[in-house]
Amino acid sequence: MTDGTAARSAAGAPPAAELRGITKRFGPVLAVDGVDLVLERGTVHAVVGENGAGKSTLMSVLYGLHRPDAGQVLRDGREVRLSSPLDAIAAGLGMVHQNFRLFGSLTVAENVVYRAEPARFGLVDRSAAERRVEELSARIGLDVDPTARVDTLPLGVRQRVEILKALHRQAEVLILDEPTAVLTPGEVDSLFVVVRRMAEQGTTVALVTHKVREVLEATDRVTVLRDGVVTARLTTAQTTAGEVVEAMIGRGLVPAVNPRGAVSGEPVLEVSGVRMPAAPGASRVQDVSLRVSPGEVVGIAGVSGNGQRELVEAVVGLRTAQAGTVRLRGRDLAGLGVRERRGLGIAYVPEDRPGVGTAAALSVADNLALGHHRTPPIGRRGRLSPRAVRAQAADLVRRLGVKTAGVAVPLSSLSGGNAQKVVLARELHHEAALLVVEQPTQGVDVGAGEEIHRLLLDYRARGGAVLLVSYEISELRALADRVLVMLDGAVTAELDAADATEEVLGAAMVHGGGAHAAGTTTGGGAAR
Amino acid sequence: MSALAQRLRLGAPAALVPLGAVAVAALVGALVMLAAGVDPLRGYDAMFRGALSVSNIDFAVAGFTAILAMSLAFAIPARMGEYNLGGDGQLVAGGIAAAAVALYLPGPAVLLLPACVLAGALAGGALASVSAPLSTRAGVPVIISTLLLSTPMVALASYLVRFPLAEEGSPVPQTPRLPDAAHLPAFPGMSYTNVGLVLVLAVLLVTVYVDARTPVGYEIRVAGANRGFAAYGGLSVPRLTLGTLAAAGAVAGLAGAVIVMSQPFRFIDDALTAPGYTFAGVAAALLAGGRPALLPVTAALFTILSVGAAGMERDVDVPRQLGQVLQAVVILVLALRVLAARWMAARARRAAGGRA
Repeated sequence: MTDGTAARSAAGAPPAAELRGITKRFGPVLAVDGVDLVLERGTVHAVVGENGAGKSTLMSVLYGLHRPDAGQVLRDGREVRLSSPLDAIAAGLGMVHQNFRLFGSLTVAENVVYRAEPARFGLVDRSAAERRVEELSARIGLDVDPTARVDTLPLGVRQRVEILKALHRQAEVLILDEPTAVLTPGEVDSLFVVVRRMAEQGTTVALVTHKVREVLEATDRVTVLRDGVVTARLTTAQTTAGEVVEAMIGRGLVPAVNPRGAVSGEPVLEVSGVRMPAAPGASRVQDVSLRVSPGEVVGIAGVSGNGQRELVEAVVGLRTAQAGTVRLRGRDLAGLGVRERRGLGIAYVPEDRPGVGTAAALSVADNLALGHHRTPPIGRRGRLSPRAVRAQAADLVRRLGVKTAGVAVPLSSLSGGNAQKVVLARELHHEAALLVVEQPTQGVDVGAGEEIHRLLLDYRARGGAVLLVSYEISELRALADRVLVMLDGAVTAELDAADATEEVLGAAMVHGGGAHAAGTTTGGGAAR
Repeated sequence: MSALAQRLRLGAPAALVPLGAVAVAALVGALVMLAAGVDPLRGYDAMFRGALSVSNIDFAVAGFTAILAMSLAFAIPARMGEYNLGGDGQLVAGGIAAAAVALYLPGPAVLLLPACVLAGALAGGALASVSAPLSTRAGVPVIISTLLLSTPMVALASYLVRFPLAEEGSPVPQTPRLPDAAHLPAFPGMSYTNVGLVLVLAVLLVTVYVDARTPVGYEIRVAGANRGFAAYGGLSVPRLTLGTLAAAGAVAGLAGAVIVMSQPFRFIDDALTAPGYTFAGVAAALLAGGRPALLPVTAALFTILSVGAAGMERDVDVPRQLGQVLQAVVILVLALRVLAARWMAARARRAAGGRA
């Protein structure tokens, strides 16, 4: 599966940076094992792999955060010893971490020049710093106000500040660690424009990601890691998404087929005119109406924090709506709590897996029993059978392919993808009429995410109704029959899956408006 | 996670931790005795003899009954992460209620015994139950409200035993001797050890059963592990809080009833709280660490520490407070272990920070 032709040194010039035979272990875990990586000058190089494949470890070695157990780091063909990020910065390396390392109460300019301040008479020359930021921004086409306080800026702009910081320190090799995780679709596009511009000006960019689309869109070369070793070196222009994915997960991706079935019968869920007040720490919901029919997946799109969670809470009964009705198979759910609603046929996969969806300290078996613990075979006449708890857990673990050392181990020993499968297994096992799902593949590897999508579509094929909240447009497109866009607590657009292209959804998530393909959106929420 | 933290978390068998805590406590006790110029071996020998010798075992088993009951009163709500520190108040409420019923409701033993025990359990349970709505509706932590409600209850009982229920002409604040029908039947050849032990052991068995084999026990454990998870699953945290606190108070109240219905068959002011049953029970429950089946073992240990300390004072002239010192050291070691584990985990996280 390895493409041996790629990544050969071009025209004799030494590569901007090179890793040779890097090995790093953490205790018993071999994180990377003899990895070679060549970053050619002026290229954008994708370092891809699933969570735990070793890509962050490798980049940490390149940036001096970890010292390798074996292997060399070369800059411009010369070996360098990096015992800390300070050495790496001195060697012309820069890194933008997933969690930004900025001072919120300082301005953009102050953050950019920190530790490399232009000085005049021993004092920081503020106006020189601001000029420097403007000059750097103009060079790569970024639009940043140097006098703005960083904590007033959205995440996408803070990321630009990090990039400017690295450039100010003369970084010639820039490592971007999962840069798109915090960005809206529009911000992702402009980041890629900036990355491309930097590469044209001679900066070498290493883009760490697990999203295949980004690899194909923004990079020149690709190095794929799996389980700490390189499984492929590819040239982006000559590869396909399938090839990259296969190298990442070790097998081909069977795309979740999403045949639109004929939607029939009475709606399972009918939400009409639901309002919720803006509580502290919560968004308001204004006059939302929607319906979900058997065999249908209705997606809720939107940037996080636009009322999706509150709407879901009103449906599952964690909070009471201020106005409006929620009906399940025609029955008004007013006044019913979570337990009653679950009994009537609502299952729920929540977004907050550690805080709500699981109990980390309890065993896998106990996590799988919640909600099933009062019904046979587990609960019978006020008794609970530990044996039935274990048997059900073993059965579900096997059926969904959860990787675990057993059902008695604490849930905290499972990876994110397997913990999510536990949640999904428990909720699917209810065979409820309605499944409410929030962010089903968040923090989940590509392979597990694909299986989770297939499970959801199987559930729909059996006639289940799904209300799906996701911030990932690709996920909505893969699963949903209809997509509703929420902005500031209201449904601002409703689209058929066929019309819900990335561009249309992205625009509706940020600006509202958009097409109203189907007719169930009510006037109050739609007019924006 | 680093190998060190792994070993600390998973490698150390859970049963070794309490043993380690006890060993450290014994060592500290030995040092204290050496400092006081007493041979530690003689000291500990006197302590064990004080609790377990033939002449003392009767009294020690009665103490064990009370400490085991109070360990249950702490352990039951602790299963769902609520801490009942109001054992003294609940114990006294149960004792005074049982005494009042015995004094004012004469009848045959067949009726009077269950009536007194029930009154004690109800009174203790009622007092503890007050803390449930305070927590779930008003947001007052259970650990605080139980502790604060305890003092006024002890004071109220103190008032009752001095005035309305006082024995006339007695120099000590105490009730008259309860009628014979309200005396719990003692074991043959014993005077303190009686049916109360059987009652408390029955409660222990029910607790172990409910914990492991009923849906309610499962729900309590779920609520203890993660409240958000419990609410998401449709469990009623307020109801579980009320239930566990009522049960805990009822066990404490039962212990109070058992004490006044045993030798010398009176409610004597201070007699229920002075021996420190409540906090010996708390310590025993902490040492058992959420495993109800271990409670008899840890309760026995703390019985030896508190009852045996008196024998040690008598025989080798070490103040009986040493028993309390040892109890405190056990709790301290357990607390330090939690801190150490947290510290290790934080360090491991920092070390592994850059890893995917």
